[in-house]
Order: sequence, then structure tokens, then C-alpha cells
Amino acid sequence: MSASQSAVRSRAEAVQVSRTFDWMILFTLFVTVLGGYHIHYMLTGGDWDFWTDWKDRRLWVTVAPIVSITFPAAVQACLWWRYKLPVGATVSVVALMLGEWINRYMNFWGWTYFPVNFVFPSNLIPGAIVLDVVLMLGNSMTLTAVVGGLAYGLLFYPGNWPVIAPLHVPVEYNGMMMTLADLQGYHYVRTGTPEYIRMVEKGTLRTFGKDVAPVSAFFSGFVSIIIYFLWHFFGRWFAKTDFIADDAS
Amino acid sequence: MAATTESVKADAAEAPLLNRRNLTLGILLYLVFYSFIRWYEGVYGWSAGLDSFAPEFETYWMNMLYIEIVCEVVLFAGINGYLWKTRDRKVMSITPREELRRHFTHWIWLVCYGWAIYWGASYFTEQDGTWHQTIVRDTDFTPSHIIEFYLSYPIYIITGTASFMYAKTRLPTYHEGLHLMYMVVVVGPFMILPNVGLNEWGHTFWFMEELFVAPLHYGFVFFGWAALGILGVVNTEVMAITKLLKKDLA
Repeated sequence: MSASQSAVRSRAEAVQVSRTFDWMILFTLFVTVLGGYHIHYMLTGGDWDFWTDWKDRRLWVTVAPIVSITFPAAVQACLWWRYKLPVGATVSVVALMLGEWINRYMNFWGWTYFPVNFVFPSNLIPGAIVLDVVLMLGNSMTLTAVVGGLAYGLLFYPGNWPVIAPLHVPVEYNGMMMTLADLQGYHYVRTGTPEYIRMVEKGTLRTFGKDVAPVSAFFSGFVSIIIYFLWHFFGRWFAKTDFIADDAS
Repeated sequence: MAATTESVKADAAEAPLLNRRNLTLGILLYLVFYSFIRWYEGVYGWSAGLDSFAPEFETYWMNMLYIEIVCEVVLFAGINGYLWKTRDRKVMSITPREELRRHFTHWIWLVCYGWAIYWGASYFTEQDGTWHQTIVRDTDFTPSHIIEFYLSYPIYIITGTASFMYAKTRLPTYHEGLHLMYMVVVVGPFMILPNVGLNEWGHTFWFMEELFVAPLHYGFVFFGWAALGILGVVNTEVMAITKLLKKDLA
């Protein structure tokens, strides 16, 4: 290739072109993952994430990590194994949470007038950081799945505790004992009100003890390990660069 | 000296590698348009969108539906038809610099596609959850659906197919075959639109209320996963651009 056929005129221009592409790629990756991850999460764990009266000690703690470890695992499979960027999980979760916060403020509050302290999203960032750190230090998909996946499930409740604790204090209302979060739901009736759709927290073991959240977190962590493996391979598949035969060309 | 002057003149006359004006306009176009849409639904959702049998519902919402469907069909046919009609029939013989310029233009399309995916799959989809949990539907064509399903989804479909069409007709990288993940990332989110049929069928026969995590919605989830096909497109682009720049970056 002669100098006149080069794509760029100088090394400085090559560097500038490369950086410009970096920004365009990062923006596109960020918003596309945001869109895909958000529609996945809102339709598999969304109601547990939308309303504080769904944020119980059993199903919320179980469901949210299991359905949210998916895209982080897939994006890690591309960004780490191809580019050695240890940020796949964190970037995915930050993208998701940005989309959620914009929506909860602009629409849940701005269009249908639910107060933000009733509809704020769950915090997934601590588990995502641990996933990235385990992958970066261990450079092993198996280690990340087992240690990171378990930690992702276990950290979910502690990561949300400072936010949800004030809403789990007991209150008495019309002779009924409930949490402050339940009371919020009582005043803001929706078609997804837990009592209406019969998805309130229940369980026989609660007759004998109160340690629901840790049991749920461990179970969630175990399932998260399996889901991580599965979605890691999904991520590898989606990162393929294969072409298929085009009869038209 | 004369040759140098000619060269400088040629550089000055040459189009820039990245057309920043088009990139900015592309992003602003979606932002301004969707800001207007958000204002419209905020005002007319409550004042004219609660009862589908009311005359004002026909005026403000059904007419909007008819207009947007016509515009979308025209836009889809127009943009893709133009890109196909003006395709480069000698795409394999373009200069490396022209190829680089086209990669930048292709990325303007991809930036717009990602941006459109955000608005469709994230912004207008989750807001559907809060609207239908607040206002119990009496029609399949609710204010939220008229914007989410029949406006924001077609717009990202049009942007995605145009992006694919641009790459296929103007870039040597995509000339020899069909890029599997590019098709996944365009066709998958496209399939969310036909899945609306299942959604409406289910809400009509099973339950009018909204419950976002209901299995009825899992079809949307499955097709939403296809957005991850962007990883394969990014990998292919990185390889192609690296090939164009490698000598000069080394």
C-alpha cells in the first residue's frame, strides 16, 4: 500500500481517529446494552424493582440477583476475554440503573405521580463491582461464576439495606400491623398491588424463625452461579463475528 | 511547490472523515422529537386518553396512531429504498481513506440505532408499566401503546435496518456475506413488534390489568436479548478499523 493509499495521513491522525471511534463505540454499546438489559430486567424482575411493597425479604431477594446477573455475565464475556477490560458487569449495571432512575423520575413520578421513595430501583452496583474484581484478579470464568456469582446473590440485600430498612419498620394502621412499605402500597393502589395478585410474602418456616433474607440470599447466590455460566456462553455467542453465505452477492 | 499547493487544496476540499454535524443532528433529532412526544403524552394522556370510547380519544390518540403508521411506512421504504438504490456497485475498489470515512458514517447510524433502542426499549417500555398499573386499559390502543409499540419500536427498527443497509451496500467489510450478529441485533428487536400481537391477545383474553413480570411478557424478553448482538458488530468493526489504522498506530 503506498502512502497515498493509507487511510490516514499521519500517526497523530490515526490516534485521533482511534479515540473518536472509541467514544462512538462506547456510547453505542452503553445505550444498546441499557435498552436490552432494561427490557429484560423490567419484564422478569420489574415489579419487585418498581414498588417498595414488593421489596420483601423473600422473593425480591431471590429473584432480583438471579435475573440481573445475566447481561453482566454476557458483557464480561466479550469485554474481558477480547479486550481485557474488567468493567463489563459494572458498565451493564450502571447503564441499567441510569435507565431505571431516569424512568422512575420522569415517568413513575412525572407522568403517574408515584413518589420516588415508593418507586426507586434496587441497587445492583456492589455485586457488579465484585463480579468485575473477581474476574480481573482471577482471570477465570469458573472462579467468577462460583465466587462472584455467589457474592452477587449474597450482597444484594446488604447493598439495599440502608435504603429499604427505614421502610421495613412496623406500623399499625386501622388495627393492622404492617410495614411502612406496605402502607405506601395501601395508599397507592395499582393493578400490581401484591395483595391483589396474591404474591405477598409467606412461608411456613417463618412460623419458627425470622431469618428469611439470608436463606433467600444464599439460594439466590446458588442459582446466580448457574445463570452466570449460562449467560457467559450466551455472551461468547453474541460476540461472534461470523458471516453466513449471501446468495445475493 | 505547485504540487504541494494542489495537495493542500485537495485536503481542504475533501470531506471530513467524521461528519460531526450529522452526528450531532442525529442525536438531537431523537432527543427533541421524543421530548415533544413525552410532553404530548403527559398532557393528552390524562386529558384525552382515559376512555377509548370518548370522541377526544379519537382526536388526540387514534389520529396520532394513523398518522404515525403512515409516516413510518413511508420512512422505512424511503430510507432503505434510497440506500439500496444508491448502493456502491464497486464497493471493493474504494480507497482505504474512503473506507474509513464510510466506517465513520456507519457509526453515526449505529450511534443513532443505540440511541433509538434506549428510547424504545428502556424509556417508553418501562413507562408503560406505570401507566397501565395506574389506568386500567379498555382498548389495545392505549396512549402508552400508541407511543411505545407503534412509534418508538418502529423508529428503532427503521434506524436499525438503515444502519444494516448502509453497511451492506457501502462497506467492503460486509460485502461478502451476511453478518450473523448484525442480523441478530437488527432482526431480534424488530421481532419485539410482532410479539405485540401476543401481548394484546393475552391482555384481551386473560387480564386487562398490568403485571410486568407476567409470563405473557416473556416474548419481549427473549427478543430483547438480541440487543447483545451489538457485541459481535463491535468486534467486527474493531477488527476492520484496526486493519485500516494498524500501520499508522504502530
